[in-house]
Amino acid sequence: MAETNTASLTRGTSGSLRYAAGTVTALGVGVLLVSLLAFAGAVPTGTVAGVPLLDSLAVVLGVGALGMIGVGAASGAGLLDTTPDHTAGTSLAAVFGVVGFVAGGLVAAQTLGLATLWPVGGLAGAALGVGLALVPREDVALAATGGGFALVASLVVLTGVIDSGWSWQPNGLSVVFSADTTVPLLFGVAGLLLAWVGAQAIAGFGTQGKARGASLLVSANAAGMIALLVVLVSFIAVRGWGPMTEGVRYGLFWEPFTWFQVPIWDQWVIVNAPIVWLYWPFTMEGVAITNAVNGVAPAIVGTVWLVIGAVTFAVPLGVGTAVFLTEYAEQGRLTALVEVATNGLWSTPSVVYGLFGLAFLVPRIGNQSTLLSGMIVLGFMLLPLVVITSREALLNVPDEYRDASAALGVSRWETIKTIVLPAAMPGVITGTILGVGRIAGETAPILLVLTGEPFPAEGPDLVNLSAGFTSSFPFVEVSAINPDALLQSATALPYQLFATITAGVGDLSDGFRWGTALVLLLVVMSFYAVGIASRIYFRRKLDA
Amino acid sequence: MSTGTGLAGRIGGFADMGHVGGLVVLVLLATAVTFFLAPGLVVYPLAAVVVSVAYGWVTDEATTARTLALAATVVTVLVLGLIMIYLVARSLPAFRAMGLDILTKTDGTLWESSEAIYSLVPMLWGTLITTLIAAAIAAPLGVAGAVFISEMAPDWARSVLKPAVEALAGIPSIVYGFIGFTVLNQFMMDEFALPDFGSLFVVGVVIGAMALPTVVSVAEDAITSVPGPMKDGSLALGATGWQTTTDVTVPAAFSGISAAVLLGVGRAVGETMAATVILANVIELPDPLYDVFGNTITLTSLIASQYGIASGLQMSALFAAGVVLFVTVLGLSLGSQYIERRMQRKLGGSE
Repeated sequence: MAETNTASLTRGTSGSLRYAAGTVTALGVGVLLVSLLAFAGAVPTGTVAGVPLLDSLAVVLGVGALGMIGVGAASGAGLLDTTPDHTAGTSLAAVFGVVGFVAGGLVAAQTLGLATLWPVGGLAGAALGVGLALVPREDVALAATGGGFALVASLVVLTGVIDSGWSWQPNGLSVVFSADTTVPLLFGVAGLLLAWVGAQAIAGFGTQGKARGASLLVSANAAGMIALLVVLVSFIAVRGWGPMTEGVRYGLFWEPFTWFQVPIWDQWVIVNAPIVWLYWPFTMEGVAITNAVNGVAPAIVGTVWLVIGAVTFAVPLGVGTAVFLTEYAEQGRLTALVEVATNGLWSTPSVVYGLFGLAFLVPRIGNQSTLLSGMIVLGFMLLPLVVITSREALLNVPDEYRDASAALGVSRWETIKTIVLPAAMPGVITGTILGVGRIAGETAPILLVLTGEPFPAEGPDLVNLSAGFTSSFPFVEVSAINPDALLQSATALPYQLFATITAGVGDLSDGFRWGTALVLLLVVMSFYAVGIASRIYFRRKLDA
Repeated sequence: MSTGTGLAGRIGGFADMGHVGGLVVLVLLATAVTFFLAPGLVVYPLAAVVVSVAYGWVTDEATTARTLALAATVVTVLVLGLIMIYLVARSLPAFRAMGLDILTKTDGTLWESSEAIYSLVPMLWGTLITTLIAAAIAAPLGVAGAVFISEMAPDWARSVLKPAVEALAGIPSIVYGFIGFTVLNQFMMDEFALPDFGSLFVVGVVIGAMALPTVVSVAEDAITSVPGPMKDGSLALGATGWQTTTDVTVPAAFSGISAAVLLGVGRAVGETMAATVILANVIELPDPLYDVFGNTITLTSLIASQYGIASGLQMSALFAAGVVLFVTVLGLSLGSQYIERRMQRKLGGSE
């Protein structure tokens, strides 16, 4: 078998080994993926071309297992150019100790019917797993454990120990495992383990093998995270797109754009211009019986005002704190205390902010749920994020800037204003945008202090240019703002989504829920997209 | 240019604040006091703040700016203090009425407002179970993800994965909850024959997925902060990249990684909306206790599901749940900060 092996001196793995072990790995990964899909119900577990899907999976898994055992045996007999360690190491033993414990326990409880003695079976299984992993040389151990487990899993299905009518309810748990879910789970685990040991075999076992196996697992984990994100977003997008875009009408028209009366001529002049006309009911309407399509416009308006309010509240405070900590205060106990407090605020659960708003703000502001309370509570939540990111940005401004400015005789405040803050601005802006993305999706705090009617027809009417000086609650001095709206309850996107869940179905269609979820996700994700993109942009600019 | 010593000097030089700073401080204090005592009148001191800041800005810009920065710092610390004070104050009636029973009563009636019995034990148990499941998911996968990003990933993978993790952290909790409510709950009932809608297991899995990005990004920071020469030394001795990771980098970053896990656990403990909408929020212990597929309630979902109907002592009991949550999470946060600080010192304080 040791054919034309002119490979490098450092790691000589023969072509046939690479080929065989690579096939084993590919089979393992394939079984893992198909099993996951079958578990999630994305692939029907019925018959494909006359053979039940799970049976064909079992055959594939069995072939892979036999291949792995073959590779291990050949390597153990010295037929392959591998560099196995004396023992497979504790990580393999730990993994198969657990696998063996579960398998042994199940066999004892299920097949042998030992109701209370299942831990004995579990321990026996664990001992077997650990023994197989630790006693033989590494190549044999890997084949015996990974390949062996996959082979057993495949045989359990092929021989009908677990057939389609199989089910099992563990003692005391209110869950029933049926064949349709258990077999994909079992095959998924077996496929993953097979791929892991197969990957180690590709690199000829030993330290290189361990590195290859670990890299497979860790990359699979990372791919899983990406998959989670993609699945979540696309799942909501697919279901929410239809309802969200229902009834959208748009067009480009040549219409009167503006018109005015010429004073002396006494004639009307009408200027025509192309006008894009868009009617998007889901984002432009509220919920009302008269609506053809119910929408979330009030919630969008509410979220926008909440974000604006929270930013006006938190950004000056946060940046001020960061400036004080970085530029004025001596680094010592006090700055440490503030930092601890900031981090504490960062990790404080959102619902606790809600309770705090309920106890502190609501009695002081209108004694009911108000938009203003919601703004301030979200501002409190945003505050630590702004402080942390601003402080980081300020610390990243090189001291040379400050020294150079001071050497020119510029005062400290002038230095901060004209040198330090502009240099730190990108970081502050990016951090704030990301923080806003987080608070825009928060439900728990506003649940307690902001919300009233869950599905209003209209959003908070905060901009009221005709309003003059009001005396009802003299809190807002800007006459362009309608202060009454600040003191009324409002709704917001995350709350509206929550309300669609708790309200029961009734007059709200399922599509309305998914549409709301999609709009919320789009709003939040666009904040994140802008934040991340601006950070990348500023980094590039700095590096260039 | 503060050269003062003692406390005043340390917090940035009250000594040379001058009359402008004094004025601004005075007006701000007046505003705060007004907001506490007579919130309806707060607009007048607020107007005074605007006027005095404008005046200060014109006459002595530097001092005014410094005073405002100091005031912002005080407010930031004050927020935490106020949260503590108000939570504790509002929860005192419940603690007084129930005594230690509020944390330990496990038999008989656990939650009955007509009898004024409030025991937080089912919620504590629910939070404990969901957090354990979440940690079992988020800790290993999160650390593995951090290792991949910082040690193994090629550049293109890193540039995809880092924003993806950040975006994952940005998905609102109510969206996770919504998915859990509409999809996972149904799935568990159909495929695993769960008797009712919602289970601790689903909540744990969902919360684990939500805590994952926190663990990844904090652990990644910790791993990246291990000095390059340490790794280079190991590689120069002929160790593979993976050996270096497991034997040098991860042990060196161990405290930072555990801080990351603690922060992730803190996120899981405080997660509200997913638990609220997925669970049925029945206030009883699962039977038997280890039935992770059973239905109960968590500290967070108690507050979110009962705030609307609660008043009086029951409201106070909700605040008691808030106190327990706050103390737990603050403890986790302090612990992780302590660990992180120790690590920075150990690695030569590379800031």
